Amino acid sequence: MDLEELKERAGPRAFSPKDDLPEEYRKAATRMIQFHANSEVMGGYLDKQFTRQAPSLDRKLACTAKVQDEIGHAQLLYRAAETLGVKTREEMLEELERGEGKFLNCFHYPVDSWYEAPMIDFFVDGGAMRRQATLKATSWEPYAHAMDKVCFEEGFHVKHGEDILRELMGSSRANRERVQETFDEWWPRIVQFFGPPNKDSKHNDFAQQVGLKTTSNDELRQAFLNAYIPKAEKYGLELPDTPRIEYDEHSGRYELEYDDLDWEEFWTIAKNDYERSAEQIGSRRRRHEAVAWVRESMDAWETSQETPQAAD
Amino acid sequence: MTPTDELLFRLADDEYVIAERYTEWQIYAPTIESDLALANIAQDEFGHARLWYDLLEERGYEEKNLLWERAPEDFRHSTLCELAFEEGDWADPVVRSYLYDTAERLRLEALVDSSEPAIASRVGKVLSEEGYHREHAQSWLERLSEGESRERVQAALDRLFPHALSLFEPGENEREIVSEGLRTESLFDLREEWFEITIPYLESLGLSVPEPEEVERPEVRGRDGSHTADWFDLHESFTSTYHELGFDQPTRLRGEGA
Repeated sequence: MDLEELKERAGPRAFSPKDDLPEEYRKAATRMIQFHANSEVMGGYLDKQFTRQAPSLDRKLACTAKVQDEIGHAQLLYRAAETLGVKTREEMLEELERGEGKFLNCFHYPVDSWYEAPMIDFFVDGGAMRRQATLKATSWEPYAHAMDKVCFEEGFHVKHGEDILRELMGSSRANRERVQETFDEWWPRIVQFFGPPNKDSKHNDFAQQVGLKTTSNDELRQAFLNAYIPKAEKYGLELPDTPRIEYDEHSGRYELEYDDLDWEEFWTIAKNDYERSAEQIGSRRRRHEAVAWVRESMDAWETSQETPQAAD
Repeated sequence: MTPTDELLFRLADDEYVIAERYTEWQIYAPTIESDLALANIAQDEFGHARLWYDLLEERGYEEKNLLWERAPEDFRHSTLCELAFEEGDWADPVVRSYLYDTAERLRLEALVDSSEPAIASRVGKVLSEEGYHREHAQSWLERLSEGESRERVQAALDRLFPHALSLFEPGENEREIVSEGLRTESLFDLREEWFEITIPYLESLGLSVPEPEEVERPEVRGRDGSHTADWFDLHESFTSTYHELGFDQPTRLRGEGA
């Protein structure tokens, strides 16, 4: 099918591996799903620290299960991306290791304290939920199918993240102050989570025309702000002065002053050129290389198991 | 400490500490599939720890004293569970899990007919999950014991075996634990059975197993509260946030899918 026909037929779960699809579509879908899968891995990378820090046995179990879910999501998503026939999982993992794989802006910032747990597990994941919910109607059927399971599990994560926030904000003044400071630092990144304004988005138009995305960045951000600003306030958090966000009673929308956000940092991150991205990616590469010997010995073992059959 | 409490602390602390170590591999395991598998095992072990700590709570303890505010030298786990991993040393969790889970099965089977009904009634659930852990470890051992990676398995075995012996180190109430029928076999007998299973199996993979009577034992034994430096570091790292936060109680999430 050519691109024009594809655009006409585009709709929720419209295309599957049975269809003969133009390269532009397969590449765009691969880029999007690979980004999503990479983000699960790099998000898990941050989240795993909360398992060690968790201040109760039940919380610890929830944290370790969450990291496992994230790796499970990465597995599903890499598979959904592979079905497009553009790249193998190995290639995508190698790209991530080499610093060529892209992932969500928020996961380029290292975390080191429990006060950051609700930033990642409630706000960032809450944002991710919004986006993922709309992707259940993406045009690439294997991606939409993966979203069914991912969204179900993310629901538990966000609930746990919210509970961590509720607990912290209901505890000592010192804890509340630390959460507020952490929120001040994270909030601009979280607002940027949905990417640049529509006019600056490179891939948005095409992705929407072919049904990969059903909702624009701005619409997603709007829905997120509508849901999460009241929640932040409910737990006693105050929005920092910048970026300026005004609620317009008339339109029922939050008007964001885009220029208050550091887009230069955002774009540096998007290219993996941010100083701390290099730390995150480099640390992952070191870890991945440290167990390269295991993958090699698995390959050797599989080959040795196949030899007798090959001789038949 | 009563004999029942001693028995429960050994069970719970082993499971908790080994799980704490296993979770260090999350995101760092060699492949996505092995990451998921070891994470499953870690969660099972945390779940078992919780089950035994819960029983201690029924006997009057509180979670904060069981874990968060207990001094590191009051923990009774085997030193096998606490050792730090070297980066990239995947042979270690494989060998550790094999040695541990084989011992764990024997110990649990000797609790099936415990004179303490609260213990006997909980063993079944734990036993049913340990089988998978052993299969997982064995399937890895068999793969890694061929070719060049065998040296790494051997190195892990040489390092871990002396610590694994502390799984069977008696505590101060060992005599009562057996005479009161809390456990239906002595640690000495369990250790003999463990040798009968592990030594021929490991040798069949081309590994050489240290001679139990001749191997140099670490001075610390775990079961008496003496531990390696790795444990004190680990204890500090998993309790520091708890102390920083100063909550009244460790949070419970039972019934919320946690």
